[in-house]
Amino acid sequence: MDGHASAVRPAPVEIRGLGYAYGEGELRRPVLRDIDLTIRPGEIVLLTGPSGSGKTTLLTLIGALRAMQEGSCRVLGQELMGASEAQRVQLRRQIGFIFQQHNLLGFLTAQQNVAMAIELDPRTTEAGRLERATAMLAAVGLGDRGASLPSELSGGQRQRVAVARALAGEPGLILADEPTAALDRQSGGEVVRLLRELAKRRGVPILLVTHDPRILDLADRIVSMEDGRIVPTKQAEGVPAA
Amino acid sequence: MNVQAREAPAPPGFLPWAPELTGEAGPPPEPRAPRGRPGAALYLPLRLAWRQLRAEKARLASAIAGVMFACVLVFMQLGFRSALFDSATALLASFRADVFLMHPMTQVSFKPEMLPRVRASQALALPEVQATVPVYLAQATWRNPESGARRAVQLVGFDVEAGVMDFPGLAPLIETLKRPDTMVFDRRSRPEFGPVPKLLAERGPFEVQVANRQMEVVGLIEIGPSFGADGNVVMSETNFRRLVKERQVSQVDLIAIRLVPGADREAAVARLRQVLPPDVTVLGGPDLVKHERDYWESATPIGFIFMFGSIMGLIVGMVIVYQILFSDIASHLKEYATLKAMGYSNFYLGRAVLSAAFILALLGFLPGFALSTFLYDVVGKSTFLPLAMDAPRALAVFGMIFTMCGLAGLLAMRKLRDANPADMF
Repeated sequence: MDGHASAVRPAPVEIRGLGYAYGEGELRRPVLRDIDLTIRPGEIVLLTGPSGSGKTTLLTLIGALRAMQEGSCRVLGQELMGASEAQRVQLRRQIGFIFQQHNLLGFLTAQQNVAMAIELDPRTTEAGRLERATAMLAAVGLGDRGASLPSELSGGQRQRVAVARALAGEPGLILADEPTAALDRQSGGEVVRLLRELAKRRGVPILLVTHDPRILDLADRIVSMEDGRIVPTKQAEGVPAA
Repeated sequence: MNVQAREAPAPPGFLPWAPELTGEAGPPPEPRAPRGRPGAALYLPLRLAWRQLRAEKARLASAIAGVMFACVLVFMQLGFRSALFDSATALLASFRADVFLMHPMTQVSFKPEMLPRVRASQALALPEVQATVPVYLAQATWRNPESGARRAVQLVGFDVEAGVMDFPGLAPLIETLKRPDTMVFDRRSRPEFGPVPKLLAERGPFEVQVANRQMEVVGLIEIGPSFGADGNVVMSETNFRRLVKERQVSQVDLIAIRLVPGADREAAVARLRQVLPPDVTVLGGPDLVKHERDYWESATPIGFIFMFGSIMGLIVGMVIVYQILFSDIASHLKEYATLKAMGYSNFYLGRAVLSAAFILALLGFLPGFALSTFLYDVVGKSTFLPLAMDAPRALAVFGMIFTMCGLAGLLAMRKLRDANPADMF
């Protein structure tokens, strides 16, 4: 929250010396060690690495879904080390999440699902929310499917609704976990390209965990993890800088 | 226009992809103030709960049926319970006396211990006592005038001229009741006593065998059957003695006392207790009714049985509602976890679960109330018990159903903890 004075905009994500372990005592098993990572405004960062390398744990820590143990992690100006549950819940409202599964509420229409992302904002009205949801759906190419239930949509369409939902709340950061894993090649590519395009237009940074080699070219930067540490990688080629 | 979002926030109508905000990486949005219209904090979870319930019609129907079942069960149990107490005390409640004397060992009016009639005369010693009326109670065998079947009937004998009893229909019959071997019959007695009102209308006064004596039915009054007596017959003191020959005149079952107008009942009761020997209990009118009620409530398991039935109904209903809510959460764990990841608090989702519980309470109560009203009518007609729906009972049952669903909701809410957004990735 120190953006007032500073001429340089603060990084949306700034991690220093982060460590995390599961279990206690003898069973303690460290999964993240001494992580330093900065995501700059508007940057699209891909996080790759073999399973078990700790990238998902890192994503949940940045997303304020898990309590910090060690180090410092500043997300959208909020220090997460020692943050209370209420502070974390509050921060999550400024983060757009996209999951492997679409996780849409089956009993709500596409439009209502998207509106759920802004229902917690007390300044919005019902009409305003639905209008924004419709506009968001139009932005992902589903302007005419607002009244459809998730069960009436294809896998790719559902994931596009999830993208619309993640973006509807004007998040300061988007976290995505294997968003293409459940999709075929074509619709997976569409969803990620759409996500990238919408995020770029809004200047929202994205941290995307993926195994999918087909979408590596979307990134501004690729961060590889191995055994709980960040290992050096080459800058993605052929991608214009943000 | 270059938007300085931090200095002057963009107008609320701004869409995030408006040209003013695009083109370059914008600042992260302002942290939102967690304030809002207080109604929305309750309405939005409620709406979410309703949309979820509505989506699964079969599940909703079974939940409503469960609540309705509990509702009807509780209504019937409470109805029977109160009908029991009302009818058990109907006879006593219709005495127009201010104070009663009875034997200290008498537990319930249909099994009275006798007390000396002379206490009635002694009570007159007090200036505030206007009149005392000895009442004789007994059960005798009534022979159905049509089929000849026998059944026990409650006999009530007293000085019909004293104006102590207040049974509807009694007043015009007082002169007739002075004739030998006459009596009036309670028209609300169970039908096993025979179609007395019909016969009376067809033939006028007719003879019925009571306790092996031919008695003439000369009219009808209204008291109502109780669990202690299926039917009632009222007659003069003299006729009672002719019918129940083994009864000594000096031994009565109850003494009704009328105070002079304006006398303080409590003071009179206290003075009567002082004046009279300890072989009588002095009770104010309402206290007698309460004494009778207490007997049914505590000395018999009947009151307990109905309470137990109500509680079982509520528990069954609670289990059904809990099951429905629990499985709703369990089958939507991923969605709930997603909502938590989007910034919905446990508290908010808890409110949604409680809202679902209260929606079920309301949706189950309304048809349950309607069905119970209908059943009260049907059952009341066939059992001749005074079953009637009234507002206090409806409110009480609604309160119980509401509490039942609330508890089920609170129990089911614990399942929300399993919706952990950290496991979503």
